[in-house]
Amino acid sequence: MDRKILSDSRRQSVIWPRVLTYLVLTIIALLWVTPIYFSFLTAFKDMHDYANQAFYQLPARFAFFTNIAQVFKQYKFDDHIISSIFYMVGAGLLCIIFSCLAAYGIVRLKPRGAFLIFMIIYSGTIFPFQMYLIPLFKFYNNVGLYNTRLGMILVFTAITIPFSLFVYRGFFVTIPREIEDAAKIDGSGPFRTFLLIFVPQATAPTAVVMLFQWSWIWNDLLFGMVLTRSNNVRPIMVALASMSGIGGCSITLQMTGVILTSIPTIILFILLKKYFIEGISGTTSLK
Amino acid sequence: MKERSIYAIAGYVATLPALLLVVILLLFPMLQNLYYSFTSWDALTNPVWVGLENYKELFSDPNFLLSFRNTIIWVIATLVFPVFGGLLIASFIRDLKGEEIFKSIIFFPLAISFVSTGIIWINMFASNSGVLNGLLSLLSGRVIKVQWLAEAPRNTYSMIVAWTWQQTGTNMVLFLMGLTSIPRDPVEAALIDGANKWQTFRFVTVPMLRPITTVVIAQALVNSFKTFDLIYVITRGGPYRSTETLAVTMYRESFTMFRLGYGAAISVVLSFIIILISGFYVRKQMGKEQLYY
Repeated sequence: MDRKILSDSRRQSVIWPRVLTYLVLTIIALLWVTPIYFSFLTAFKDMHDYANQAFYQLPARFAFFTNIAQVFKQYKFDDHIISSIFYMVGAGLLCIIFSCLAAYGIVRLKPRGAFLIFMIIYSGTIFPFQMYLIPLFKFYNNVGLYNTRLGMILVFTAITIPFSLFVYRGFFVTIPREIEDAAKIDGSGPFRTFLLIFVPQATAPTAVVMLFQWSWIWNDLLFGMVLTRSNNVRPIMVALASMSGIGGCSITLQMTGVILTSIPTIILFILLKKYFIEGISGTTSLK
Repeated sequence: MKERSIYAIAGYVATLPALLLVVILLLFPMLQNLYYSFTSWDALTNPVWVGLENYKELFSDPNFLLSFRNTIIWVIATLVFPVFGGLLIASFIRDLKGEEIFKSIIFFPLAISFVSTGIIWINMFASNSGVLNGLLSLLSGRVIKVQWLAEAPRNTYSMIVAWTWQQTGTNMVLFLMGLTSIPRDPVEAALIDGANKWQTFRFVTVPMLRPITTVVIAQALVNSFKTFDLIYVITRGGPYRSTETLAVTMYRESFTMFRLGYGAAISVVLSFIIILISGFYVRKQMGKEQLYY
């Protein structure tokens, strides 16, 4: 009732602010789209067109595919992409297995000191990465993990565990105890119960973990720069970053690199979009 | 009893891999790093204990002080643009026809990396054939060649534009979530009582958004203190170290100049600030939970 009266009496005065709102929002949206539009436009040009045309003109020759070939050849994108996929799969799997197991142990098996164990692992999210870099650099050099794929997988796993543990812990708390007790009575041991009852139900938290950790691993620059040196170990973002700045390449190739390397995370976000909110709100980790 | 002990042992086994990895690769290094911050160390020889020397040097080092100032600029600008901007956009697009489209557009940059964002904005800011100077020239009819990235402090402000482009989306989404959870009645009551839109927003909506605002601000503060990738990609901290922030200075001192003890000290200062903020946030959260339960 009230709502109707309100909207009727205010209808006249509401139309103009509405139009204004749309106008302002459209301008903002245009500002947001502009950099993306020009990224594509630049990536589609060769250096000749880029240097001789106005910035808004469409390319005379469509050079995107030549640019892609050039980027792969000059910057060994295939090596870097394979390495990064390797890290996503390896560290992603290890992180999911270890943190899922640990969450089950902490929430359901509850050994003495379970909360302390949780706090110790979770404290890994508090410190900025800069706090680990120097000792890791030294440690990796000493034990021969520097510039190895195994080393990268281990560090990515360690970094991603605390947040993932938090997500799984929050989820396992909500699974009713009765199911578990029934399994126990049927003679199922702790790890059998875990595999048969907990793992199959954990799709949602696993999706959250995958979205956040895979895109984080793919996008990581810092650890790749500090802990690796050679082309076949360095992750993709280090290669992309090396294209800019002094000694870098033409902006047309840089933009091509940007588009190529953005595809995986964009697909990931589209596929797992509904888990994004869950991830940032449910956990609000200070990561 | 026997069954319980089996479960307890299984519990330790289950947590062990995660615990070991985190302790060996994160927590132990963290303590080592604290130790290194009290040493002088060039990576070739062994670290030499120098007590508080590094920390004393920090506060007389013009590079560090500039870096600290830049970091503070980043933090304040983050609160003003991506955070407050995100709140404004969220409250405008809410319930609007086309909410989804606007939301997706503002949110999109979040799906790409900082490195990519950096390069996208290099293309925008380039002084000779950059898009921004091109657009400004078109609009004004004169040839405009602003050096967006060469002169301090303009280069820092330029990069903050890129940062805003990428970060506004997260805050907007969080605020939208908060807005959805607010009951409508108080807002409508205020409107009926004759409050205008701004007053209602300021005195009804904003206070009720408190819980989500705490989260957003804490997250934004921590992230802006840690800014690294974007600056590294766009300017490498230059020219003449004029755009460095704490994280960039730490990287440069440690892995370009190999003053590892000094670099460690910078990372400790950075951690100290971040833990202070996180601690404040956790205490606020705890306080609130006590209120509710």
